[in-house]
Amino acid sequence: MKKFLLYIAGIFFLTVLAAVILDGMYTYVFMQSKNRGKIETVFNSTAKKYDVVILGSSRANNHFVAQMFEDKGLKTFNYGMSGGHLFEASLMLKLMIERKYEIKNVILEADLNLSNDQESEGVAAKFLPYIHCSEVIKDHFSTEENFKQLYYIPFYRYVKFDSKLGFRETYKIASKEKTNALDNLGYYPLKKHKNGNMKNNIVNLNPLPHNKYYEEIKSICKKNNINFIAVMTPMCENVVGMNYFDKVKKAYPEIHNYENTVIENKYFSSCGHMTDEGSKLFTERIIKDFFGK
Amino acid sequence: MFFNSLAFAIFLPIVFFLYWFVFNKTKSTQNALLIVASYYFYSCWDWRFLFLLVFSTFLDYFTGIQIEKSDSDKKRKFWFWLSILVNLGFLGIFKYYNFFATSFAEMFTSFGFKVSPFLLNVILPVGISFYTFHGLSYVIDIYYKRIKAEYNFIDYSLFVSYFPLLVAGPIERATHLLPELKVKREFNLEKAKEGVYQIVWGLVKKVVIADTCAVYANAIFDHYPSMNSFSLILGAIYFAFQIYGDFSGYSDIALGVSKLFGLDLLRNFNYPYFSRDIAEFWRRWHISLSSWFRDYLYIPLGGSKGGLWMKIRNTFIIFIVSGFWHGANWTYIVWGFINAVYFLPLLLSNSNRNNMDSITLKWNLDSVKVLFSILTTFLLTCVAWVFFRARTITDAVLYLKRIVTSGEFSPQYLDNERYNYELVLMIGLFILVEWNNKTKVEPISGKRSWLKMALAIMAIIAFGTYSDYKEFIYFQF
Repeated sequence: MKKFLLYIAGIFFLTVLAAVILDGMYTYVFMQSKNRGKIETVFNSTAKKYDVVILGSSRANNHFVAQMFEDKGLKTFNYGMSGGHLFEASLMLKLMIERKYEIKNVILEADLNLSNDQESEGVAAKFLPYIHCSEVIKDHFSTEENFKQLYYIPFYRYVKFDSKLGFRETYKIASKEKTNALDNLGYYPLKKHKNGNMKNNIVNLNPLPHNKYYEEIKSICKKNNINFIAVMTPMCENVVGMNYFDKVKKAYPEIHNYENTVIENKYFSSCGHMTDEGSKLFTERIIKDFFGK
Repeated sequence: MFFNSLAFAIFLPIVFFLYWFVFNKTKSTQNALLIVASYYFYSCWDWRFLFLLVFSTFLDYFTGIQIEKSDSDKKRKFWFWLSILVNLGFLGIFKYYNFFATSFAEMFTSFGFKVSPFLLNVILPVGISFYTFHGLSYVIDIYYKRIKAEYNFIDYSLFVSYFPLLVAGPIERATHLLPELKVKREFNLEKAKEGVYQIVWGLVKKVVIADTCAVYANAIFDHYPSMNSFSLILGAIYFAFQIYGDFSGYSDIALGVSKLFGLDLLRNFNYPYFSRDIAEFWRRWHISLSSWFRDYLYIPLGGSKGGLWMKIRNTFIIFIVSGFWHGANWTYIVWGFINAVYFLPLLLSNSNRNNMDSITLKWNLDSVKVLFSILTTFLLTCVAWVFFRARTITDAVLYLKRIVTSGEFSPQYLDNERYNYELVLMIGLFILVEWNNKTKVEPISGKRSWLKMALAIMAIIAFGTYSDYKEFIYFQF
């Protein structure tokens, strides 16, 4: 029996060793990632200068045409992330500051995402390979429920989020396979979708009175002398519970309500996401109102 | 509590410790501990069905003794049929009632009578098909005087409820497992190590092969109308490896865990995809179920001793019942029927026992023939798996039809943002490992076992699929 227990201890040691080695290898590969996603690119970048940085969820990613800002002489990148919440937007901005980015304006899409201050697991996972390499990331995750497992158990984060950070993604980074996440200066244009869902019910949605990460972004901007512009972006005309945007305005008077800028269904790919054509109309209005161009 | 869950990783060492260090005085204390552990294990699924398990155990225990004690044939028959009918009754109510009710209603509707069937709102108790078959084999064996009734209730309960085999087999026989439970187990280092090898290899099959294949097979089967021929062929192959990895992986873990407690269970899989014909496939796939049906259905029906029509009838009965055992759906029945059709030519030409020897390949024409027959058998199996996996028979037929009509063999991007061909290399590697170790139970033991263990652990950690977590397929049966 003693021999068997030693044998099991050996296997346990082997497992821990394998996890440590794999953790090191995967992290090393992720440290080289520069063309697959916005998070990896920012993490592995050095200081940059921007006139405008756009943050938010897919409603930022699909709605702000970065090239139109550039055409007006404003160096811009759309860092909106599909599926992301304000948790990730805040961390993204913190990473930029850590990397000494010089940013004049931050445009934050702040509307539906104000209703929660949770992380979006699938998007947040993309920060995790760097949790041991960045104090900012470590601190940001430190209040999360599973922080200890993610931080202290070697390779656990790669196993837990294997579809985002697993072997497949690591292999693609190592083989320098590019994605389209960084094309069009980060803006992802949508087409009219014949099966697009043109109905949305947000009756039960309520903005949090003090969204932790919204306030965090606001204070980072203030501390770093960045002009903070928060906007609500358009939704299609069939939304039930449109008074949500009024509730946002009441709780956060500084957020600019652009929900009504584009309303016709023909400009929407789905109820919450405009087509390229709709996004151009919206962006034009934003540039005119905030930059006078 | 799944075998590949954290809960089981905690449960197993605790039971192991108690078994060998605290309750190791006699076989009774060992058995009593395993019973408590088994009931706890089962109650983790749904404690309410524990009563059903205990009732079923008690029924077969009691009727077994009554059959043995009965002084007249009439009484023996009474207790025998009581046990059979109650056991099958439970199975019928929980597993098949809704299927029969809706099927009859549909049949009447097609004749112009509108019928609204009364359906039961019940969930299927985990493992009911397995523990019912344990009990049935025990009672049948006593009735035919092949074994003596077991008078020790603890020992008998453990035979039915032993946790490694409780929810998905292998289906044990009283003649095999009960004698092992009648003696005190002594710790055996080599057996325990074999158990660990089997557990680790079972995990490789489950989380690396089955769960990864499932991601691709699901994407292809769920969107088959938009898939091309290449994707559909790969989908069928991925599912073949998903179900093999899933079920044989489970069986390996069950056998391995059991070896840690000094108990040997029946082998359930013997590299079935290296079979040279369908008859050999069924001697290597889910062996405990195939042999159960052979011994308790096929042979009592007359087996292959009668005339030609009796042979054909019995073959179809055994395969269709076997298909139906898997689930209350026409797709399983058709799957069984197709396998009977595959088996028939071998039976009629008296060549169903041709390939009883082990496979060896050399650089000659005979080996090419062997490889060709293995490939043919595998492809036939894949066609049958399409029916097993599809939601309806129509879906299965359209799936197969599209393989022929699409005619496109280009790489295709799936809905889950993966290319259809991505797993081909991994499956090829898995086949190679299994082929090189087909004379052994698992590939880790033998020379350089530490290195092979390290590679297996690496594979489980690095290549396993965890976020898209899958239950073991056979739990639903």
